[in-house]
Amino acid sequence: MLPRIADSLSFLYLDMVRVVQDDTGVCAQIQVDDSRTDTVYLPTAALSCLLLGPGVSITTPALTTLARHGTSVVCTGSGGVRAYAGILPDSLTTHWLEQQVSSWSDPDRRLDIAIRMYQMRFKDADLPTTVTLDQLRGMEGQRMKALYKILADQHGIGRFRRNYRPDQWHTQDPVNLALSAANTCLYGIIHAALLALGLSPALGFVHAGTQHAFVYDIADLYKAETTLPLAFALHDSTNPEQEARRRFRDNLRLLRLLPRIVRDTQTLLTTTPPDTLQNDDTDEDPAERRDVHMVHLWDPKTGALPAGVNYAAGND
Amino acid sequence: MPSMVVIATTAVPDHLRGALSRWTSEVVPGIFVGSISARVRDELWRAVTDTVGNGAAVLVHPAATEQGYTIRTAGTRRRLPVDFDGLTLIRMTAAAKAKETQSPS
Repeated sequence: MLPRIADSLSFLYLDMVRVVQDDTGVCAQIQVDDSRTDTVYLPTAALSCLLLGPGVSITTPALTTLARHGTSVVCTGSGGVRAYAGILPDSLTTHWLEQQVSSWSDPDRRLDIAIRMYQMRFKDADLPTTVTLDQLRGMEGQRMKALYKILADQHGIGRFRRNYRPDQWHTQDPVNLALSAANTCLYGIIHAALLALGLSPALGFVHAGTQHAFVYDIADLYKAETTLPLAFALHDSTNPEQEARRRFRDNLRLLRLLPRIVRDTQTLLTTTPPDTLQNDDTDEDPAERRDVHMVHLWDPKTGALPAGVNYAAGND
Repeated sequence: MPSMVVIATTAVPDHLRGALSRWTSEVVPGIFVGSISARVRDELWRAVTDTVGNGAAVLVHPAATEQGYTIRTAGTRRRLPVDFDGLTLIRMTAAAKAKETQSPS
């Protein structure tokens, strides 16, 4: 069985190389100087996603081989700080997209996922089982306020207030500027991860109404440990935006977050409503089951029907 | 707990091959396969790095990485393991091309 994104979390980030298909496989050619070109062969079949940073050129045969092996290709900024476009292979499973859309369109399951998103952020808190979204939003607000205060105290700055208004951009304090820039980087890498899984970045569970709603949902899970401490550390920087981007890029901190983003997103989307839990008699991995050789046909009563069957018999 | 190791050697001294063959089987010339504890593996690898000279050796053993194994090398050859943020791939160093010797006509 070939590895898929479900069991292989291989993300490979490349920049400043030429990716070609040669006689043996797909390789990245690294120009060392005028007279020397090193090559690195890419394990296309074992790779779930290839991230192409700046300065990469790739040939059509190379892309074809990647597509044939089910590898998603995403064009990103340096160090994955932006996501520009995703190229999804034909063979990518639609399992996660179907999970997302079906949970999103069912108000009860959507609420369940929204609650679990907040719960992931309050790992230590003991939440009552009947907690409402209102209460969670309130708790989240209090936590953020407390976190802002702790960080502000740590760095010896006075009161901090998050400013979201783009029209006041140039009058903002360094922490706000650094935080906005760092968050944009975080959105980039999350966007790339969602594209690689074949998910829709637009269908969020907590956020709504923008093409990046789901990106914002997932990003909120990590801000407290990634972008916020970074932004506060830059409180006396003269160029906080650039510095924030550079720190994320240079240490490739965001790339290291990728496997976690994939795992957490998959955990969130794996919901089995309690009433169907009992009659689920197969113990196969759901992603495994979904790995169809041919397309399914959908039926409102029976669920999935095998395709490639002529169903005309009963009707004539 | 012993785990499987593979050590591939090129042009190493005979006494090193002797040392390796005491712990592992030489399945094809220069390739040693065995199941040994991490401690023995590290001791053997120290012996390899100390005596490799102009030769080269590579050790592959299971590790808790995404790929499931890790690679260690001693001596230099054209193939070089490179870490791509946790994913180890092999970089093939190209030989420098000879400069254009023909004089312009």
